[in-house]
Amino acid sequence: MQLSNSLPKSEVINTRRRQTSASERREWLLFALLVGPNLFLFGLFTYWPLIYNTYLSFVRWDMLAPVKIWVGLGNYRFLFASPGFAKILSNTVVFTFASVLLTCALGLLIALLLNQPLAGRNAARSIVFSPVMLSGAAIGIVWIYIFDPRYGLLDIFIRFVGLRSPNWLLDTNWAMPAVIIVYVWKNVGYAVVIYLAGLQAIPRELYEAALVDGASAWARFRRVTIPGLSPVIFFLVLTTILAGFQTFDVIKVMTDGGPVDATTTLIYYLYQEGFVGFNAGRAGVAGVVLFVAMLAFTIVQMRYTERNVNYA
Amino acid sequence: MKNVQLTRRQMLKGFGAGMGLIALAACAPVAPGAAPAASGDSAAAPSTEKVTAVFWSSFTGKNSETETELVKRFNEGQEDVALDYQFQGTYEETAQKVTAALQAGTAPDFTLLSDVWWFKFYLNQTLLPLDDLLTAENVDLADYQDSLINEGLRQGQHWWMPFARSTPLFYYNKEKWAAAGLPDRGPETWDEFMEWAPKLVEMDGTEVKTSAFAHPDGASYIAWLFQGVAWQFGGSYSDPDFTMHLADEKTVAAGQFYKDSVHTYNWARPSKDITADFVGGFTAASMMSTGAMGGVKTNATFDFGTAFLPKKEQFGCCTGGAGLAILSTSAEETRAGAMKYIAFASSPEQTTFWAKNTGYMPVRKSALESQEMQDYFTEFPQFKTATDQLALTKPQDSARVFVPNGDQIIGKGLERITVQSEDVATVFAEVQTILDEEAIPVVEALQAVEG
Amino acid sequence: MQIITISKPQVISRWAGQRNNWFAIGLGYVGMLLCLLIIGLPVYWMIIGAFKNTQEVYRIPPTWIPAEPTLANFGNAWNSAPFGRYYINTLITTIFGSTFEIFFAVTSAYAFVFLRFPKKDWLFLVLLATLMVPGQVTILPNFLTVSRLGWVNSYQGIVIPGASVAYGTFLLRQYYRTLPIEILDASRVDGSGHLRTLWAIVLPLAKPAIVSFALLSIVSKWNDFLWPLIVTNTRDMRVLPIGIYWLLVEEGTIDWGVVMAGTLFVVLPVVLVFLYAQRYIVDGIAAGAVKG
Repeated sequence: MQLSNSLPKSEVINTRRRQTSASERREWLLFALLVGPNLFLFGLFTYWPLIYNTYLSFVRWDMLAPVKIWVGLGNYRFLFASPGFAKILSNTVVFTFASVLLTCALGLLIALLLNQPLAGRNAARSIVFSPVMLSGAAIGIVWIYIFDPRYGLLDIFIRFVGLRSPNWLLDTNWAMPAVIIVYVWKNVGYAVVIYLAGLQAIPRELYEAALVDGASAWARFRRVTIPGLSPVIFFLVLTTILAGFQTFDVIKVMTDGGPVDATTTLIYYLYQEGFVGFNAGRAGVAGVVLFVAMLAFTIVQMRYTERNVNYA
Repeated sequence: MKNVQLTRRQMLKGFGAGMGLIALAACAPVAPGAAPAASGDSAAAPSTEKVTAVFWSSFTGKNSETETELVKRFNEGQEDVALDYQFQGTYEETAQKVTAALQAGTAPDFTLLSDVWWFKFYLNQTLLPLDDLLTAENVDLADYQDSLINEGLRQGQHWWMPFARSTPLFYYNKEKWAAAGLPDRGPETWDEFMEWAPKLVEMDGTEVKTSAFAHPDGASYIAWLFQGVAWQFGGSYSDPDFTMHLADEKTVAAGQFYKDSVHTYNWARPSKDITADFVGGFTAASMMSTGAMGGVKTNATFDFGTAFLPKKEQFGCCTGGAGLAILSTSAEETRAGAMKYIAFASSPEQTTFWAKNTGYMPVRKSALESQEMQDYFTEFPQFKTATDQLALTKPQDSARVFVPNGDQIIGKGLERITVQSEDVATVFAEVQTILDEEAIPVVEALQAVEG
Repeated sequence: MQIITISKPQVISRWAGQRNNWFAIGLGYVGMLLCLLIIGLPVYWMIIGAFKNTQEVYRIPPTWIPAEPTLANFGNAWNSAPFGRYYINTLITTIFGSTFEIFFAVTSAYAFVFLRFPKKDWLFLVLLATLMVPGQVTILPNFLTVSRLGWVNSYQGIVIPGASVAYGTFLLRQYYRTLPIEILDASRVDGSGHLRTLWAIVLPLAKPAIVSFALLSIVSKWNDFLWPLIVTNTRDMRVLPIGIYWLLVEEGTIDWGVVMAGTLFVVLPVVLVFLYAQRYIVDGIAAGAVKG
């Protein structure tokens, strides 16, 4: 930029600074205008409830009484000390990570499959994606049927292989796998679709170069496909973890957190204490723990990606 | 250019949406529940005398059709009150919505509340004591089934009036009974059933094809059905003053019976849906709500019978279902109207109509004697068994209905012994500890309210 | 104005390295069939359930093709609740709800990518963190807020609390970041302000991502159940998923055929919308995720 020789140097610098801060401030204003309403609504309808919920975790209140009794960490102590809570936490972790793992792994497998030049591929992709559009409640009802060990769909296949069906939803060992299966069934289509496009974006030349180098199919997969897919994998893992933590409708319809507490996750516990037991304090604690857990996982994951994801 | 057209279209869409929303907001329907009867009054402005009362309920499907008819008859039958009747969800959801609405000041005038929910509202003094209104309406309290009306009695006043009440009932598959060579009646006692049960079990190789009996899971109210059994064995869940008896010897014995039926004698099975199993022929008998009778009649391909619950040491059967209560936040003008409806809906004629169409129990003694009911009994003898049993029922134990989440707490314990096979004494002792703890705030609140 | 061409990623139409390997292709078909069976069968089961009468639904062994097919369930389902009204309500809340979401996503994402603001990245994290607040936590406080605004049992009460959007903003932000910076500089040199750049340049280029997000948003709003149930009091304001609920009974036998028929009512429009715009979804979500 040419400086005018007629102006004293300081004046010129001042003019420049004033210009950038004026336009910068205009940008700030525009930013605020564009993002403001969105954030404002979040503040009102998401963050305010979060704060209120955190406050509630410190009181004893049945949601009707005019007075909320402050109990400090009483609710936290109660929950962390109770033996049932450890089971709830382990259920939550098991459910979330099993479903994330299965969804992402199976999704990849199916995507690799549907990436091949097969006839009817588009129709297949639609069908695979269709469970995503159905409501969790309707799916739960159908799957209760399917799991029935006497006449369910699944039983037919299990008998075909010569095995006996466990009493899925009434067996404390099998209820969690059942719920996981339903959840994965519902959401794998979403992963497949994302992987598919991710696969298509990997440059062909990389594969051909690897072939020239004499790499085997497995080596090509490991050296080209996986790194090429890493942004996709990161995005999927993050979104499915967050979704997994908050999965409620499938559990409510299929097992009601049971049998006993075999499928009671943190979110189900929140519902039970808040919406059925009307114990605002304990529901509050569940909400806080859930939020903190998800935040922690997200931060950890974001740190991890900075090191391991290859952006093209 | 195509791009510009697209963006213009999007702009227009954006503006259109904005305009549309403003227009919508301007002519959004006046929420009837947004304020108590005061706004209802102005909405019904034309007739200055007519009061609108907002009534919330939990019935779906056919039951809702019947209730709609009841409301219609009421509205058309008099000039003083117009009911604004709305479905709000299940019993549980209706209670949640009433709670939220009370917080927000948008509660209805009166509402249906189930056996486990009404007490919570009573405890927080959000219900109206009904006796003055009952007297003003000349309601014959003595004509109500004792067990039903007494359940809503506190401090000598009525707070909760019976409307859609049910009880557990013993259902049996007559075909399977005959095939096993059993007399066409329910077992008198559980001991008698113990003799019958092995004959009713049908095997398919090593698998049980049909069991003699089925237990529901916690979410399907096993704690409700077990209550009667506990009484039959001489035990109970609790006393009215919240002294817990779940861990008592006799209650544990009842639990042991349940556990043994599944794990030792192998003639009972836990089930996800006992009604479906019964109708499908997977279980020869089961205890179910009287409310299931209609559906069983429609869907069963076999003849079924009903019987009193079997005895052990004695007979025991609890009540259930839902009743009506008026909220203390309701406006003065609407209360008389609400009571009018309550009296109407539980009057002998209407309770007969209700019972015939839904399978809930008629709440009036005189209703049972009416010709209409007698005719119905000839058509549907299974129903008569249920009404005969009604006189022998007792109101429920405080542990299930007055302790928050009491039903689920006990239900989970029962799942531990029927689905899993844990030691009954240990499980019941643990459940009792939880119940004791959860009852503390209730006892405190009760002292504050009742002294 | 400069003309910029964006080339779409190449579609690999062959598994790289495989040449006419019948075994692999055969395996592929088997795999695909397996997938379709596992995923499609339960859906098929749901669909035929709607055509069976209740007795047949309960029949053992279950029938694959309805022995006594009936359309009665559809009639019963339609008549049991004011489904016509529910359709209208759901249409309104979905259209408005999705419009808000799309509008906010498009504009917020633009702001985060192309505008300067102090501590912008922190703000973005704040936005992202809203994905970690479970819905149940927000229900009661939002009900209180909404009733204080007098919006209980109204369209705005259903729509506004769900109008803000983080997932879509995230998605579109990813996509915008992939757009070549040259276009935008060119547009600025031409003298266009940010708004014009957004509308004339960015939007057309981001169309696939926007359309895909729009579809996801529509599906989500269409199936929204819990909040509309809590915030509406009267039948005339309710939405379709609540209508299905209406078909379930508290204390009796559930008429499954009718419930399935009702479910089909709710799902059908969404399926049609999806089938129509299927290809956009693949391009859109994927691209947004890929460029991450």
